[in-house]
Amino acid sequence: MSKQYQAIVVGAGPAGSSAALTMARAGLDVALVERGTFPGEKNMFGGILHRMTSIEELMPDFWTKAPLERHIAKKGTTFMTAEASFNVQHETTNFDRAPYNGYTVFRPRFDRWLAEEAVKAGATLITRSTVDDLIYKNDRIAGVSILGRTGQIKAPVVIAADGVLSFTAQKAGLRRPKFNADQMAVGVKALIDMPREMIDDRFGLVRDQGFANEFVGCTGGVRGGGFLYTNYDSLSIGLVFHLASLRTSGKTPYDLLNEFMEQPQVAKLVRGGRLQEYSAHVIPEGGYNMIPELAGNGILVAGDAAALCNATGVNLEGINLASHSGILAGKTVIEAHQQQDFSLKTLKRYKERLDLSWVMKDLKGFRNAPKMLHIERIYNEYPELVCSMMEHIYRIDGTPKMSIPKLILREVKERVGLKNAISDALTAWRAL
Amino acid sequence: MNIDEIFDFTSFTIDREPHIVLDTAVCVGCDNRGCTNSCPARCYTWSEEEQIMTFVHDGCLECGTCYVVCHKNAFTRWRYPRGGFGVAYRMT
Repeated sequence: MSKQYQAIVVGAGPAGSSAALTMARAGLDVALVERGTFPGEKNMFGGILHRMTSIEELMPDFWTKAPLERHIAKKGTTFMTAEASFNVQHETTNFDRAPYNGYTVFRPRFDRWLAEEAVKAGATLITRSTVDDLIYKNDRIAGVSILGRTGQIKAPVVIAADGVLSFTAQKAGLRRPKFNADQMAVGVKALIDMPREMIDDRFGLVRDQGFANEFVGCTGGVRGGGFLYTNYDSLSIGLVFHLASLRTSGKTPYDLLNEFMEQPQVAKLVRGGRLQEYSAHVIPEGGYNMIPELAGNGILVAGDAAALCNATGVNLEGINLASHSGILAGKTVIEAHQQQDFSLKTLKRYKERLDLSWVMKDLKGFRNAPKMLHIERIYNEYPELVCSMMEHIYRIDGTPKMSIPKLILREVKERVGLKNAISDALTAWRAL
Repeated sequence: MNIDEIFDFTSFTIDREPHIVLDTAVCVGCDNRGCTNSCPARCYTWSEEEQIMTFVHDGCLECGTCYVVCHKNAFTRWRYPRGGFGVAYRMT
């Protein structure tokens, strides 16, 4: 197996397929190489597919064609202890009409569909092929070699869209050889089967409305959080842990997930469901500060491979950033072909394009968010503070009531300490 | 959810050739062994009695946790399975 293409994309996830689609539309002969038996087979997320404005430009009727689940009309945050929970919810009809703000999706379906759109545009999808290494000719990238096959796929330029661990970027010397566990998280997820009507009733939804909820204080003291998303007839529920914190905790992700699902208020939400699938994946959560070199001679890096992931604790975005970066990488390769120059000199235009886009502007703007997420107190003391305060406010037991500011001050002093609370508030303010 | 029953609810096409190979001699000298608790599929088990680390690749979810968590560089090989092998998600 050895065929000459004009560009190779490693990984048929949202970044890779968006890149391949862009280049194929421009008439380039593109190979989209995927290690799964189909695109999306290896991918998971605990999240929402947010609006993808750049894909909408390529496919104006994107939302009517893609295999989507419910649109998110209602979002919530829950502060939780072992016994209590305090919920904040936002619901708006603005998110209940097109263009919708976000959807739940199944990655094996969505990624496969997006890759097929790239194929329709003329890209060649090569599945069951794990890229092993880059091949060079006269010091220039000439293609990739495939693991376990005595073959090569050839092209003068490669887009590494091979996910968070990007061995392609590593072999090109663009990312650090060792990751910092402080900048990485792992998500574990249970897919729970549940009848559609039960989901509608339980979460107060009608038509195709969906609900997304984040949880704080459910990770057994490990830095991280929980999530619950409604699909048509299943729930995605899971936890995300920062790896530096999980490593030293001695606790296991699955035990914590079980505890989370057994917490009384969460147990009511998943009751009657049946476990259908269990999945896990690492997430690049270091933000702006962990972005690798984005371009080299004959190579570009996009999506998770480039750590383009925005985990501010409020919105959790990834696929939209991946897709946008893929499109910008694709455009840069088209330009490189016009100039017949695949050196860094031409390809660094990709970084310039990204810098000008909302992707980098968002990541730069929220570059302190990871610092906030590393405040240990967020994951225990603050949820306890909120829940205990609410219990005091609501409780009627024949004793005189304390004024609310006084109550807040007492709880803060008792659980966190005034100095810590002020410093945390400042960190959070700077982060957001 | 019982992690011992991982094969009942998640699909795998197991490759006989492991994609992750561990130099277990390194694990003996490790002061943390964060892989044993961090791996979401419990692929790593440490026997205190025999002072041996066991790694089983069959139920590996290819998530990357051990690759990041291991600070001793105990892997003589860490790559993804050959094309078509490994975990196969249907819905997630």
